[in-house]
Amino acid sequence: MWQFIVRRLLYSIVTLLILSATIFVIVRLTGDPVSLLAEAGARPEDLERIHRQWGLDRSWPVQYVSFLQNIVTGELGKSFNYRLPVSELYFQRLPNSLTLGLVATLISILVGVPAGIISAVKVNTWWDTIAKGVALLGLSIPGFWLGLVLILVFSVWLRWLPTSGAGDWRHVVMPSLALGWYFAASMLRLTRSSMLEVLGSEYIKLARLKGLPDVVVIAMHAFKNALIPVFTLAGVNMVVMVNAAVIIEVIFAWPGIGRLLYEGIFNRDFPLVQGVVVMAGFMIVGINLIVDILYAFIDPRIRLTR
Amino acid sequence: MRRSRCVAAALMLIVLASTAASLSSPAGAAARGKLVLAWHAGLASRWLDPQEHDGTATPDNFFTAIHDGLIKNQGTALFDHPALAEKFTIAPDAKSATFTLRKGIKFHNGEPVTPQDVKFSYENYRGAKADVFKKKTERVEIVDDRTIRFHFKEPFLDFAILFGTANVAAPGWVVPEKYYKQVGADGFKQKPVGAGPYRLVRHEPGVKLEMEAFDGYYRPVNVKQLVMTSVPEGATRVAMLERGEADIIYSVPGELVSRVQKLPGVTLAPVLSGSWFLEFPGFQDPKSPFRDKRVREAVSLAIDRRAMNQAESAGFGKVSGNWINNDVQYALEWPEIERNVERAKQLLREAGYPNGFDVDWVTPLPAWYSRGERLIGQLREVGIRARMQTMERGVFFQRLQGGIKEWPGVQIIFHGIRIAGSWSFWYEAHVKCGGFNSRDRLCIKELDAKFEQYERSINPAERKKLAEEIQRAILENHYLVPVFRHAFVNAIGPRVAAQKWQDVFPTITTGYAYPWEDIKLKEQ
Repeated sequence: MWQFIVRRLLYSIVTLLILSATIFVIVRLTGDPVSLLAEAGARPEDLERIHRQWGLDRSWPVQYVSFLQNIVTGELGKSFNYRLPVSELYFQRLPNSLTLGLVATLISILVGVPAGIISAVKVNTWWDTIAKGVALLGLSIPGFWLGLVLILVFSVWLRWLPTSGAGDWRHVVMPSLALGWYFAASMLRLTRSSMLEVLGSEYIKLARLKGLPDVVVIAMHAFKNALIPVFTLAGVNMVVMVNAAVIIEVIFAWPGIGRLLYEGIFNRDFPLVQGVVVMAGFMIVGINLIVDILYAFIDPRIRLTR
Repeated sequence: MRRSRCVAAALMLIVLASTAASLSSPAGAAARGKLVLAWHAGLASRWLDPQEHDGTATPDNFFTAIHDGLIKNQGTALFDHPALAEKFTIAPDAKSATFTLRKGIKFHNGEPVTPQDVKFSYENYRGAKADVFKKKTERVEIVDDRTIRFHFKEPFLDFAILFGTANVAAPGWVVPEKYYKQVGADGFKQKPVGAGPYRLVRHEPGVKLEMEAFDGYYRPVNVKQLVMTSVPEGATRVAMLERGEADIIYSVPGELVSRVQKLPGVTLAPVLSGSWFLEFPGFQDPKSPFRDKRVREAVSLAIDRRAMNQAESAGFGKVSGNWINNDVQYALEWPEIERNVERAKQLLREAGYPNGFDVDWVTPLPAWYSRGERLIGQLREVGIRARMQTMERGVFFQRLQGGIKEWPGVQIIFHGIRIAGSWSFWYEAHVKCGGFNSRDRLCIKELDAKFEQYERSINPAERKKLAEEIQRAILENHYLVPVFRHAFVNAIGPRVAAQKWQDVFPTITTGYAYPWEDIKLKEQ
């Protein structure tokens, strides 16, 4: 077991190294950030001064090593734009993103899972057709459009909810709906297909032959097994929602990490973009590591396979 | 008779007493209510520190609330509105400038604004055009506890205009030396202390600034709380206005202008902003069709400027004849250029292009691509076939700085800029050989020679004459082709007391709503 954990840990470190190198190179491929930090077409000496000030005059390998050293010491560099440590900015915004991500995940589960179960149980009925329609709409309606429609209806026409920003619970409703809607659709589809697969399995047929009532078969036998991939997806979805709800956070002026990333990209704020991506990478890799280890505990065959 | 004299004397005393009371009462004491501005981009902390002014038109929106300069652009004053300085004089030989501070002015932390703070702010300044000030300044002399004098190595005629234009440079914007040194440059950006009408109460980097009227300001401040919140999405800003969550919003998207116009109590504020014009990089190359003046003129005649203004600025822009804004010193007024497709075709025929020619790329300033498409459509009507090149904003500026090698072949750059202060900043940026934006793309020797003469001259009449000659030459030779001045369309909510939009946006050299202290809310 320990060998398995160590091996997985090493894989995770290699993944993070590849991620850090990739994001380091990609942000630099977008061009020189100094052209956005200085006045339009500033004098060469000003540009040189800013290059020196931010350490951008050093070679890429030197900058990369410095970036890795910062990560190891828990520093993610200093934002060009905000002149604050990236970690400070990240953790300032994290509570807002966690709130949004949690509520959106809840919405996606509360809508997607029951609808998926009903759709699978009532397969090929009008219930199923409605659920499939909802899933199709959820996956195809762009978040920015849904966000704007929600603002128009609930803020401007009905005046029930504030348009944007963070504050009390009313501020969370629309952004989490707009964000959770898409993920609810994907949860619905996965729950449906997972349930259909389980419902067609031999042990469910046996349970039915034993004369167990439908509710018991679905709730006690099918549902529990069908939910494993669904909750794995929910976990990954939540990490994505916390770290990359860029469009929704911009539409609703929600002060979260997605918007921080957007601002970083928009201003070519290298340390900020690198920091946010690396933190998201840490979260995803970390969650996958935990899930892998838990699976290995549950199913010994997993830790025996290389 | 005696009785009426007594009454008159008593009345006079009451008037004098109330005047004295109003003068001695704190500026922000009578302030009330809350004003929310929905800002159209992120809120960068570096915009809160005048010491690192980035030379763009953006930071002055914030400086004018938190900080103050000795002199500044305000209302119709281009650069010389007395602010922290009650008066200033420039020596006749332009080799020194003397400022006298107002009595009793303070920073938000209660410390007095002293000549030493002015000296520190000037000498420590490292933002846009810092090198110009450093190169030309011999020393800064503190004359007495309210007077400070700047001595220059040579006549520095543009000193006041550079010093006092908030959206060009900011060495004249005073920061408290002691506090600045204590918290450091980065700390200052998080918790700036200034001498402006509003003191910062809360700062959420990138998200929100909450400010409160400063009691010690030397002018009355009308609104108690000023909140600037970043709302990048245009439709959300409009919804905030409709719902009363914001009182002023910047940058109404074109497609929502008509909706905003119909909102009860809302006033649209279409502030004239930057000028848009065409450049033909490397036009002096013998292989370039733009080497021929007739071709450049044909391009100019092919443009339907009114249609462009209508489509791109809902008609609120201005079809002007010059490529330089007319709100800067020595800008030349030039008649509107009418579209004439037939004449354009004839000029192309005369220049040897009866079937037109191909332009490799038309590159508009990112991300104003729709106006690039409109331009291409209009050029096509006279036989000039072009494709549009889009690029990320940073890349665009980087390529401008790269000079002619970055713009090979036949190209048109569709610029949009706003520079306040003087016409010379425009020339220096966009025409001068080696200039900070033009690099080696144009290099018109005779104009550069005249510009050098302009810079050397200390005779205002001669400078004005040279400025006009240079601008006339550019326009008559179509070295640059003016298109239009676009409008920065903002909106004012019903709670703000304004008869007309200019009451809230009175400063002609900016698109922003300062002076902030003058904005009033309606009686509840």
